Amino acid sequence: MAYHQLNPYELRKRFDFRLLLFYLLAAVLITGLLLRMINLQWVQHEGLRLQAENNRINVVPVLPVRGEIVDRHGKKLAANAISYQLVMIPERVQDMEGTLRMLNANMPWSKRKFARIKRKIRHARKDRPLVLDERLQWHQVAWLVARLHHYAGLDVQAATHRVYPYGELMAHAIGYLAKVRKNDLAQGYLADEYVGRSGLEREFEARLHGTPGSQQEEVDAYGRRVAILHIIPPKTGETLRLSLDVDLQQAAATAMAGRTGSVVVMDVHSGAIRVLLSTPGYDTNAFIGGVSGKQWNSWLHDPQKPLLNRAIQATYPPGSTWKMVSAMAGMRVHAPLAHQRTVCHGMIQLHDRKLRCWKRTGHGPVDMHDALMHSCDVYFYELAEQTGMKALITEARRWGFGGRTHIRLSPEARGHLPDPDYHVYRGKKRRWFQGEIMITAIGQGLVTATPLQVARFAAALANGGQVLEPHVLAAAKPHVLRQVDIPAAQLARIRQAMFDVANTPGGTAYRYVHDAKYPIAGKTGTAQVVAMSQTQARYTDKGVKTQHRDHAWFMGYAPYDHPRIAFAILVEHGGHGSSGAAPVAAAIVNAMKL
Amino acid sequence: MLIANVLDSWRAIDRPLLLLLTLLATVGLTTLYSAVHLGDLHIWYRQIMYWCAGIAAFLFMSLVPLRFLGLLAWPVFLVALLALALVPVIGEVKMGARRWLDLGIVHLQPSEIIKWALMLVLAHWLANREASDWKTIIVAVLLVGIPAGLIVIQPDLGTTLVLLMAAAAVLMAGGFPWRYFFGLLAMLPAAGWYLWQHMHDYQQKRVLMFLDPQSDPLGAGYHVIQSMISIGSGGLFGKGYLHGTQARLHFLPEQHTDFIFSVLAEEFGMFGVCVLLLLFGLLIFRILYIASLAFSRFASLLCIGIVSILTLYMFVNIGMVSGMLPVVGVPLPFVSYGGSALVSMLAMLGIIARVGIESRQQLPWQRGGSALL
Repeated sequence: MAYHQLNPYELRKRFDFRLLLFYLLAAVLITGLLLRMINLQWVQHEGLRLQAENNRINVVPVLPVRGEIVDRHGKKLAANAISYQLVMIPERVQDMEGTLRMLNANMPWSKRKFARIKRKIRHARKDRPLVLDERLQWHQVAWLVARLHHYAGLDVQAATHRVYPYGELMAHAIGYLAKVRKNDLAQGYLADEYVGRSGLEREFEARLHGTPGSQQEEVDAYGRRVAILHIIPPKTGETLRLSLDVDLQQAAATAMAGRTGSVVVMDVHSGAIRVLLSTPGYDTNAFIGGVSGKQWNSWLHDPQKPLLNRAIQATYPPGSTWKMVSAMAGMRVHAPLAHQRTVCHGMIQLHDRKLRCWKRTGHGPVDMHDALMHSCDVYFYELAEQTGMKALITEARRWGFGGRTHIRLSPEARGHLPDPDYHVYRGKKRRWFQGEIMITAIGQGLVTATPLQVARFAAALANGGQVLEPHVLAAAKPHVLRQVDIPAAQLARIRQAMFDVANTPGGTAYRYVHDAKYPIAGKTGTAQVVAMSQTQARYTDKGVKTQHRDHAWFMGYAPYDHPRIAFAILVEHGGHGSSGAAPVAAAIVNAMKL
Repeated sequence: MLIANVLDSWRAIDRPLLLLLTLLATVGLTTLYSAVHLGDLHIWYRQIMYWCAGIAAFLFMSLVPLRFLGLLAWPVFLVALLALALVPVIGEVKMGARRWLDLGIVHLQPSEIIKWALMLVLAHWLANREASDWKTIIVAVLLVGIPAGLIVIQPDLGTTLVLLMAAAAVLMAGGFPWRYFFGLLAMLPAAGWYLWQHMHDYQQKRVLMFLDPQSDPLGAGYHVIQSMISIGSGGLFGKGYLHGTQARLHFLPEQHTDFIFSVLAEEFGMFGVCVLLLLFGLLIFRILYIASLAFSRFASLLCIGIVSILTLYMFVNIGMVSGMLPVVGVPLPFVSYGGSALVSMLAMLGIIARVGIESRQQLPWQRGGSALL
């Protein structure tokens, strides 16, 4: 029956009756709750009160042990050592004043440290364990343990702290830890935890960190732990096995002999990084327990920039190591000069300017092979005239320059490749000048690259044009980002020239690397730091200030016939690539175990 | 003109309702302070902000004419249903359940809106029908069943059950015949069995735990046992404000949300509990009284829907923390921490205030009068 056909009086009566039932129902529900409360708070009160007094269960988090980092042979790069900590749960302390006075009198704490501890107790959560002192000495442990039962809320706990057996050597790759900050706490970290702040420690934080466990403790009315009821053990972080080879890295560091620079060694087939060295380093062990402000500032303001990871974060003009790019660009666009000779007179005249070859007396007649072997600049100036800027830049992009390599280490610099069509300066575009194209062909001007990019370029030359994604984990699968299509014959020409650089008398690096354990193919590079006036001497000579001297490059691969590793060595202000950087490559190859 | 209308409306607002809300706000914020004062006080400050927002919502809703609300019922319901249907598709997962929608600025819980929208649309549907013919009942069952089905797969069993029972209350008030009611009651065991088969592990565990909390004192039963200890140890007059030992030891991870009642019970004892239950009881009675005064059937049914949800939340929450009901994760209205629940609850009370205002603004012979009260 439809609503409007019903008797409104009947409807109202029915509604009111049901409303009355709702009043009753609400009253019944509330009475039910009240009865339950009477049961709990009156009838059962005594028993429950005793339980509350005697049987307080508290859940305390247990920190996980951080995963270790080992190199490819299992040598520990980041390990854990046991230390003893003084821990306080503030709300369990009965007499905070007295406890603190006792501690201050008996612990070797400075005034500032004591003030810091007091501040920390004031601001921290009162129910969580708080680390007051992280590295107790043995006699302190003994002394404290003997007196703990007088002081509720204090405890000595074994914990682990990070140790870097190869502190300075592996500093940039491994990175370091630091205490949690406020925004980490929001992400679920516990107070007093350490978080990866740099390098692989940061990159693989999620895998290394492990999962905290918890411990349900029974505590008495005075806050003392009576028993541990139930432990959910923390899960230790994953052990990270790297592709890095600490022995090879040591050999590279020794050969760098204290000079500033970077060495990158990469497996040519898998892209696995074997050496990732940046010098000078810094001692990552100083970060354990908090690095002092003084130490940090001295690193920060050191003109050598020890905190900078030069292998991936610094970009340099690639200098002559870039000439292979120019040569391949020439062959790709069928520049006539790629199959002809030219004559080097030590310089080339361009309008009213002179562009010099590094060899003032000139190389005489040179073809591509000779130009690479002797690193003749004039040949490449003339080749650039025929290829143009666009071919150079496109070729470089093919080989992975000008973009991140996507190694799992951040932040990574991209390096710079200029726009192929225009010179853009302060928002204005203009055509490239001839001279600018020419110096780009010898890796000067606006192009820059990171040592890692150069090493990957060397690897790609060695493995037949596979541009790989570099990786640092032993378990990572090789990942080919791009296969550069280049005829085998052309690549063979480049390789032959690189072989002769190192192994034929007259090659720029012959003197330094021809007697290495395995035959090396390589290319030297000498990158200008200060714009060279064409009338002046090159900035390699003694008597020129160090910070103005050229950067020395050496890149290549070994063994020549069955390539295994590719490398790039950069020595800042190292002078010539041949004398400055090539010997490091020889040292690495000699230390290498196939 | 407009301002005069607004002031007229607010002058006619139901004073006891305002008084009860003020007292509940006081009790709620006082208790919440105790629950969080050793940890993150920002929670308390945020709850004050939510109260401000909720009061604004209350005052705003008290100005929306019921006629207009009736027009809005279907659109609001359909939009809310759409949002709810989107949850399984693009919702965020928090604590193992997919309940949230990320709208850029706010994280929305569509199930929070749909329950009110459902009350609205159900009241509207039954406003000029009697829930005694099949067509009316089937539409009503569909209206309830679709959102309930979407919420139960999230999974959120507590909200689903509250929703079903509140809808049943509105249907009963709308004239649902007793013979059908008892018939359905008889079918309940079968429905329970079906539900059990389709429960998630953690839900089954909670039900089992409710039947015997001592069987796993450190696992799922831990919360309930600790909560009962803290309520019981409060005794008649409690341990004193901010002196609850159980709460101080942080035995409950959710003591500022679902388990906040046990903080109150521990610190203020049975005295505090009685005050809280009295306030809730008076509020419920007052809303039922307003429902009886309402001049339109739509307004009465809406009041009944809203008060049912309020009552069920209160009852289920206190029931579960005191070990009478399984732990289903339902907040205690006005006391538990949480923005969207509080603001939407206050907005709904704003509607009730509106019902009061409109019935008072009617001439005496136009008012719906109750034969009984």
